[in-house]
Amino acid sequence: MKTFRLVAGYLRHNLMSAMAYRGAFALQVFGMLLNDVMLLFFWAILFSHFPALQGWTLRDVVTLYAIVAFGFGLATVVCGNSGRVAHVIASGDLDYYLALPADPLVHLLVSRTSLPSWGDALFGLVVYLIAAPERWTTLPLFLLLGVLSALIFVAFSVIAGALAFWIGQSQNLAMQLQNAMLTFGLYPVDIFPGLVRVLLYTLIPAAFVGSIPAMLLVEFDWGRLAGLFLVTVAFLLVARGVFALGLRRYESGNLVTTRG
Amino acid sequence: MGVLRAVPRYGFVARIAARQQWIYRGELWMRSIAMVLFMGVFMALWSTAFRVSGQGELAGYSLVEIVWYLAMTETITLSTSRVFVDIGDAVKSGDLAYTLTRPVSYPFFQVAQSLGNSLPRLGLNLLTASAVVALGVGLGAGSLPGIAAFVVTAMLALLLDALIAVLIGLSAFWIEEVMPIFWIYQKLLFTIGGLFLPLEMLPAWLRRISLWLPFRYVANVPARVFVAFEWREVLGAAAGQIAYIAVLTVVVLLVWRVAQRRMVVHGG
Repeated sequence: MKTFRLVAGYLRHNLMSAMAYRGAFALQVFGMLLNDVMLLFFWAILFSHFPALQGWTLRDVVTLYAIVAFGFGLATVVCGNSGRVAHVIASGDLDYYLALPADPLVHLLVSRTSLPSWGDALFGLVVYLIAAPERWTTLPLFLLLGVLSALIFVAFSVIAGALAFWIGQSQNLAMQLQNAMLTFGLYPVDIFPGLVRVLLYTLIPAAFVGSIPAMLLVEFDWGRLAGLFLVTVAFLLVARGVFALGLRRYESGNLVTTRG
Repeated sequence: MGVLRAVPRYGFVARIAARQQWIYRGELWMRSIAMVLFMGVFMALWSTAFRVSGQGELAGYSLVEIVWYLAMTETITLSTSRVFVDIGDAVKSGDLAYTLTRPVSYPFFQVAQSLGNSLPRLGLNLLTASAVVALGVGLGAGSLPGIAAFVVTAMLALLLDALIAVLIGLSAFWIEEVMPIFWIYQKLLFTIGGLFLPLEMLPAWLRRISLWLPFRYVANVPARVFVAFEWREVLGAAAGQIAYIAVLTVVVLLVWRVAQRRMVVHGG
């Protein structure tokens, strides 16, 4: 309950802070919306030449984009620091969170929001509904899958960022891993050869943030949904564990910070 | 004469920026990893597309040619420098005022900085992309004159991109956040710039529009001269790039003149 209040409180505070500069906030949200719409242009042209790719049609790919955008947007709206875990650890900023009574990992993740990601989340939701009007009936499932996708994004980002406990200045490596997750996630997993597909179901779980949720939205299956739940829980536990292990090695940098 | 004196100054700035890239080699290697990642995705996508369709060619491109085309467009895009971020931060913080005392023009200092950052990346990205694609689909595209033409047109493309990046950065004088402008520019490169798809694959009406805009000269044109080398096309491509570079240079000068007046008004 305390953790939920922490997350909700920071979300409200971060949104209020963003709304202090409404023009800049609106420009970033709209800019990201436009950015995401133009990404779909590539697929529209590609599918004008090919009717389907390994069973995936344009509508299926739009569904994939919608779920990835919504999941990624939700992840970085709520946990805006998920992409900066390595930076926080390497720079010694972690001291601030360790000194406070809240859970350091959750506090670290939610203390910032990504303004453009509000545009990603909005894009995902709107595109999903526009792509097929009858999808209002499956909206609760879309929202649930978006949350699971977001949790896997955050968990993977924490694992990638926590490498800094062992490697040190690993911000670039963490960023590349997160980029890989997002890049692979935006493509149907079935187009990739066998070995790459194994990678996308294991070390870089991009299949679970895009293709699997999209498949569930196109053709629902209870077994597949249960599997996705289990994978999400597993990644969250691994992320927690890796962070806790790394924290034992952490040494303060005696960095003095002030926060307004 | 003033222009001739300025060239060594900006050349020095570019040289220092290039040396700095080599000192922070880790970041260079990270870009190579990104290149491997993108080329892996593209090779998988297009191999599947051609196999499923059973077609040997699409809009005049074979599978090998289109993969090499994408390798060249990604080589350029992953070499670009985001000087608009530095310019935007300098405008917002007011640090830009300190640069006015330097014996160089601030926008062209940033252009030189951008080129210095980009050129080492271009070399490494070209090697990485070529290695990955050669292993993936083989050497069935391009030629030695094509490589030479690509290098020349790619350098002109990076200069063109640097001028556009400076304009994006200078927009911070009017709007607080420049990233949305960059996103739109990047997506225009993706679409009518021919970054992800050769322009021959676009609908005819969109292709006609793209021919008049500068974006294709950043991605499509250098990649095309490599894949389908023809002297006439190379000369036409270079002429188009030089023309747009000249136009944008004038635009940068005009925008900078107006922006400086705004800086005085707000600086006090």
